[in-house]
Amino acid sequence: MKTIKIAVLCAPFVIALGCASFPDQPTTQKIAEQMVSEAYPGMPAELTRRSVQDKDQKICSKIGDAKLSEQEAAEVVRSARATIKYPASGKLAGDWKVGAKLAYDGGGSRIRGGKVEKLKENGANCSNCHVLDPREVNAGNVGPSLAGYGAQRGNSEAVVKYTYEKIYNPWVYFPCSNMPRMGHNGYLTPEQITAVVAYLVDPESPVNKK
Amino acid sequence: MLKLRGGIAAIAFICLSGSGHAADPLAVGRQMLAEDNPGDLWVLRGEKLFYEKRGPKQASLEKCDLGLGPGKVEGAFAQLPRYFADTDKVQDLESRLLTCMIGLQGFKREDVIKTRFSDLDRDSDMEALVSFIGSRSNGLKMNVPLSHQKEKEMFKAGEYLFHRRNGPLDFSCATCHSEDGKRIRLQDLPNMSDPRQMQAVVATAWPAYRGTQSTVRTMQHRLYDCNWQMRLPDLGYVSDMSIALTSYLNYSGNGGVIQLPGVRR
Repeated sequence: MKTIKIAVLCAPFVIALGCASFPDQPTTQKIAEQMVSEAYPGMPAELTRRSVQDKDQKICSKIGDAKLSEQEAAEVVRSARATIKYPASGKLAGDWKVGAKLAYDGGGSRIRGGKVEKLKENGANCSNCHVLDPREVNAGNVGPSLAGYGAQRGNSEAVVKYTYEKIYNPWVYFPCSNMPRMGHNGYLTPEQITAVVAYLVDPESPVNKK
Repeated sequence: MLKLRGGIAAIAFICLSGSGHAADPLAVGRQMLAEDNPGDLWVLRGEKLFYEKRGPKQASLEKCDLGLGPGKVEGAFAQLPRYFADTDKVQDLESRLLTCMIGLQGFKREDVIKTRFSDLDRDSDMEALVSFIGSRSNGLKMNVPLSHQKEKEMFKAGEYLFHRRNGPLDFSCATCHSEDGKRIRLQDLPNMSDPRQMQAVVATAWPAYRGTQSTVRTMQHRLYDCNWQMRLPDLGYVSDMSIALTSYLNYSGNGGVIQLPGVRR
């Protein structure tokens, strides 16, 4: 019955337009990717390249309630694990005071008028999404609170290594997590990450003071 | 006595319910702005601009068809973006105004785009026009059509793009806008997977007077600014990507009661 009704409703349009329907997924993807390639007119190629997805970003772009399959999750974890890099010094926890500055620095790599902002280094953007020092009010909540991170976990070698890897590429442990792959994407250097690790785990850090 | 007590209880209830963010000192400022919206000045200027003879062709915008017929601004915002046969494109309010400013008034595309967002030196005509036209749908419900093939394509592309992760921070729109009660630092993030929040954003947010920028900003500016925070290049003004996202958002916000311009931080 429904089919008949639709057929009748559409009949007058079929001749002029064809009956409008939602494009299938491959067609949508093709249309949308074309839009991305034209979304940044006049921008230099090295900047528009940022909008090109890598393999794992593609996997992690699920729509609505679509779930990551076990196979996809394993694939994301595998490539994340395979690309992790450590600092030349081998020391994974640096100076927490350096980390304290980075953690509250939300700047870096932003583009206006086709130019990347000129800064000495990218900030680590942590406080945009996480509570760190429990006394600092100006902190986001997109990610979990990290107040007392080291006080709860200690600063053993295992905790330090996990923390470093989690910041370098969170998708090693949480495939497609909202958290950016700061190290993997070259947004933070391995040395910067060691400073943030220290800020989280060092007993002297404000993160671990009540 | 009972009556008095009831009265006090009622007042207390009003106070409690009226200040949902009692603990949030920022809410006080927001409330003050909402009660006395500076955006009304943009509405007045936009109305003047709309009916004034301007541009090389010395024409007003009274023949501009925003989807409901030439010059009809009442209810126009509520049904955008939509397909326009003369351009064979789905257009949002800003791209349609741009079409009219070029075609009817003879302005150059690049000149309009240069002043699309006001800065310290220049007021944007576009921001004023959008404020005016937005305000002329106040009290109506968002009612964006999804019948033409190109409207359907735009909607689906917008949905795809909303979830598309990219850039050096791996962000998509959904990264920040898919859960309730989230904030970037102290800034509240609407959850666009919740129809009610989507309606509120679409129908009462943009165009909005922004206190931190002392001007009205449009939806195109909002998307441009999100792209900037995502570390992506400058989003092309009225690019298809921006229209697709707006189609997806506005259609999903259908039913929201319009009150524009909004007020934002």
